[in-house]
Amino acid sequence: MLEVRNGAGETLGVLFDRYHAPLYNFYAKLTGDRTLSEDLVQEVFLRILKYRQSYQPGTPFRAWIYQIARNARVDHYRKTPKHITFEPEMAPPVVPKDAALESEEAALLHQAMMHMPEEKREILILSRFQELKYEEIAKLLGCELGTVKTRIHRAIQELRLVFRQLESGMIAKNSDSGAAKFIPRRAGNEM
Amino acid sequence: MKCEHIGELLPDYLQGSLNAGEAGLVEQHLMECADCRDEVAIWKKLAILPMEQPSEASRERFEAMLHAYQTGRAEKSVAGFDAAHRASGWSFMNWLRSPVGAVAWSAALLVIGIFAGNYFSGTHSRSSDEIAAMRDELRSTRQLVVLSMLQQQSASERLQGVSFSQREGQLDPQVVSALVHTLRYDNSVDVRLAALDALSRHGSQPQVRKDVLDALQQQQSPLVQVALIDQMVEWRDPDASQRLKNFVQTPNLNPTVRQRADWAVSKLN
Repeated sequence: MLEVRNGAGETLGVLFDRYHAPLYNFYAKLTGDRTLSEDLVQEVFLRILKYRQSYQPGTPFRAWIYQIARNARVDHYRKTPKHITFEPEMAPPVVPKDAALESEEAALLHQAMMHMPEEKREILILSRFQELKYEEIAKLLGCELGTVKTRIHRAIQELRLVFRQLESGMIAKNSDSGAAKFIPRRAGNEM
Repeated sequence: MKCEHIGELLPDYLQGSLNAGEAGLVEQHLMECADCRDEVAIWKKLAILPMEQPSEASRERFEAMLHAYQTGRAEKSVAGFDAAHRASGWSFMNWLRSPVGAVAWSAALLVIGIFAGNYFSGTHSRSSDEIAAMRDELRSTRQLVVLSMLQQQSASERLQGVSFSQREGQLDPQVVSALVHTLRYDNSVDVRLAALDALSRHGSQPQVRKDVLDALQQQQSPLVQVALIDQMVEWRDPDASQRLKNFVQTPNLNPTVRQRADWAVSKLN
């Protein structure tokens, strides 16, 4: 990681190869917006170049890179406020549906994820899909390790509730026709 | 064990980081508690969500961003790195002096050089502070651009290299040398004329004058010969008259060129 900090921007390609897919996955799962996710990934690498001196040697690089990723998203929403009250489908009509989402269970799970408050979704993504250690997440979120575990547990609890409600039809499924196509998104700062 | 206690252990259980005793406690609870069991099931079920894959264009966008950044990096590196240098106490200069640093920096400059063309042809507004801070950096970068461009295959790129050199108030000896080489040996008359034009702006430097005067004797193109003769008249160099007298003796000289040289001698005397 020192090469990046030391200014050899050319070595960024190595980092790109390593991180661009995970970062894209992080953003795509978090925002449900593929185009935005692509943009944000590019922004992350630009910021890595710009702020490479801010990386402290000896500290977890992943926490640093995800910190940049979170900040990039926050800054994006600061510039372009979320006016969405309805969450668009993960796969817009022009994009072929993911094979894996074809299964109803996966689609429901995805819908349940998108139905959760962003903070809970984020911590689930970080711990479940980005394979960050809880210590790294704690550093990233600037909180205690115990707090991270509590938040993860709460997020799992909520996901379970939403998923089971979707399954039982207590919450309208995306696959239902007409007005039930979109599910109102909850306020992002509920926690 | 109650659910809330399990809740404290569950995240570690899910990551497999509990010791055998604690894991056993959790598993025992899970057998008894459907809700907690369902939580674990949901966590495991998340694996069915696909990894989202970026598009093919992602890498190209990255390359373009990198190039754009490197093109603009020269302007920021001076100010940015001084601040970082002071703040961190870390010696970039030492690193730069090391073989690895030298190679990396050379590579960085080369990349900057290659892509600076687009950058410098654009118009950018910057504060005067920034301009002052970046001047030296830009200067060395431009020199590299000139030197690299003058070696390009295409005449238009070499012309571009020549025109880059005109952005500097003071020419680096290496750049002068490269321009003189171009004036003498470039295959393209246009490029040679452009090199002469670029060098003519630096007539206050005795070495530049001498080099330009020396170039006349080897020159084959009448166009360039005439341009050189005119330049000598303009500079009114003490040596010029004698050199032109010698030059006129050259066999098979183009009549127009000879006429021009005779005219120049009369002007200089």
